[in-house]
Amino acid sequence: MFVSLYMLFFFLILYLKNKNRMFDVPKPIKEYTVSIVVPCYNEEKSILETVKSILASDYEGLKKVIVVDDCSADNSYNVVKQFAKQEGRVLVVRTPQNLGRAASAKNYGAKFADTDLIGFSDADSFLEKTAIRKCLGYFNDKTVAGVTCSVLVKNQNKFIEKLQAMEYSIIAWTRKLLGYVDGIWAMPGPLALYRIEIFREIKGFDEHNLTEDIEIVWKIINKGYKVEMCLPAKVYSIAPSKFLYWFKQRIRWDIGGIQCLNKYRGNWTSKLGYFIIPFFALSMFLGLFGTAFFVFMAVRRIIQTFFYTEYSFAAGTALLSADDFYFSATVLNLFGIVLFLLGLFFTVFALRMIKEPELKGFRNIFNLLFYMIVYLTLYPMLLLFAIGKMIKYKIQGKRIGWGTK
Amino acid sequence: MLNSSKNAFWEALVMAVFVFSFGILLGFLLENSRTLKISDMYEQSNLDLLDVRIQNDIFSLSDVDCGILALENTKFADRIYGEAKLLDKYEISNKVSDSISLQHKKYDLMRALLWVNSIKLREKCNSSVHDAVYLYDYNNPSLEAKAKQNVFSKMLGEVKSDVGGNVILIPLSGDNGIFSVSLLMNLYGVSEQDLPVILIDEKVKITGVVGKDEILKYLQ
Repeated sequence: MFVSLYMLFFFLILYLKNKNRMFDVPKPIKEYTVSIVVPCYNEEKSILETVKSILASDYEGLKKVIVVDDCSADNSYNVVKQFAKQEGRVLVVRTPQNLGRAASAKNYGAKFADTDLIGFSDADSFLEKTAIRKCLGYFNDKTVAGVTCSVLVKNQNKFIEKLQAMEYSIIAWTRKLLGYVDGIWAMPGPLALYRIEIFREIKGFDEHNLTEDIEIVWKIINKGYKVEMCLPAKVYSIAPSKFLYWFKQRIRWDIGGIQCLNKYRGNWTSKLGYFIIPFFALSMFLGLFGTAFFVFMAVRRIIQTFFYTEYSFAAGTALLSADDFYFSATVLNLFGIVLFLLGLFFTVFALRMIKEPELKGFRNIFNLLFYMIVYLTLYPMLLLFAIGKMIKYKIQGKRIGWGTK
Repeated sequence: MLNSSKNAFWEALVMAVFVFSFGILLGFLLENSRTLKISDMYEQSNLDLLDVRIQNDIFSLSDVDCGILALENTKFADRIYGEAKLLDKYEISNKVSDSISLQHKKYDLMRALLWVNSIKLREKCNSSVHDAVYLYDYNNPSLEAKAKQNVFSKMLGEVKSDVGGNVILIPLSGDNGIFSVSLLMNLYGVSEQDLPVILIDEKVKITGVVGKDEILKYLQ
């Protein structure tokens, strides 16, 4: 409870100190040339729309869109190849064999870039036409190695999609705030721009990590560089529409996070140790501890209810009486309510500031409450599944794959 | 990173500590107000108990109607039974301070006195009012014992509704470190290992879960 309260105040203070700069778009001091790499595997349905959204950028310094087909089994390669004939800025390349991970395909595509900046976008993400241009001004600072933007959800029809839409907006908002304390710990796949010489210096993405977009940020910060976020630059991504896909994606994120923590566990004294490593480690510890406590309490309650029901039947007494509905609030209940209200205020405020029209209005009240009460409560439990999966694969001596769609 | 943003780390800590401390303080105040309420009720009940005991003493001096004494004793028992339920609720919801557990002990002593008074009254007056003393595990009941205690407690409440003034219900913690309660338990063959126990008229000892009808049978 104390940690949650601390984090809420931390974000509130960061906002109050920087509220006039949140939506700043710094003007670039030079015209940077940009290449965007799009890794692609079996994305024939969305790849062209993604490429077109990048080409529609209002930034004239965009020189190349490099589509890396990782030996798709569908018609992705031919679809883009055909399109490239009409659009000179599109280059489509194919990996020698299926590399199986986005990081590998991205590194492969990066070899074909020769611009000041290199960007990466997922094959199911769609850029706003101003997105690239708005990010560039942050590169005026020579120590900035990468710039990320607001990743929002394109598909907002199903319940699970709406929940993720809220989550993505909150993530974008908090990521921007964390940027003010050099606390950005990920540059998500839908759009991230890097200074190419630094990208090469750090040898690109780690192909052994399941969340290469987290790992690369840790690597950048560990080298003493910075990452920034441009809140008004927006990119829309397709969020999982089915629970199973969502579950697999989140397990992958958790495993990637654990891999990062494990890889950089000895770097507490570097800039990573200043915020990112403690933040990650504490989040995981609290997530696991909270889950363990929740499960413990639930099991206790189930056992007690079992005995109680059995004895009640034996004694012929009522299972419930008026006395059972008498509620006397504890101080912890009151704390919980205050914390919930503060969290609700923070969430609503962030959603309003992000200005996503789909998330406004009364029809989203149920979604918002579900997100706050159920989604955020059960989410840390995924960590247990992630750890379980890691242990299982370790025992079996197998390599953990993407496991999404 | 701007210095002003860097300060957010300790500024948030100060605010969180302030709000958290304020919350704990409010918690103390809330719990103390509940303890005060229980304490006031205790004071009133203590006076009533004194009254009931003096009535008994007067009975030994002169010829007073036994029925009136039994009725007063039952009325008093019913009142502190209601107070015991409230005390239980408050005790469960007390998380910050431990002051209410002292009140619990005081009530236990009062209920022990009531029990003794009821025994004496039955002996003297040959009263038809039964007593059902419910001795429970207060300090560390297992999950199973807790479930059993909940059922006992509910069942006795239902029995009381059915039988009304013919029974005095005395819930009493059997492991609260009160010597007089331990003495009474020893006297009637109840050990801490037996808890929870329902003792009817100091003769029938019920340790397992039985049907409500069986309890009613002993109270007829």
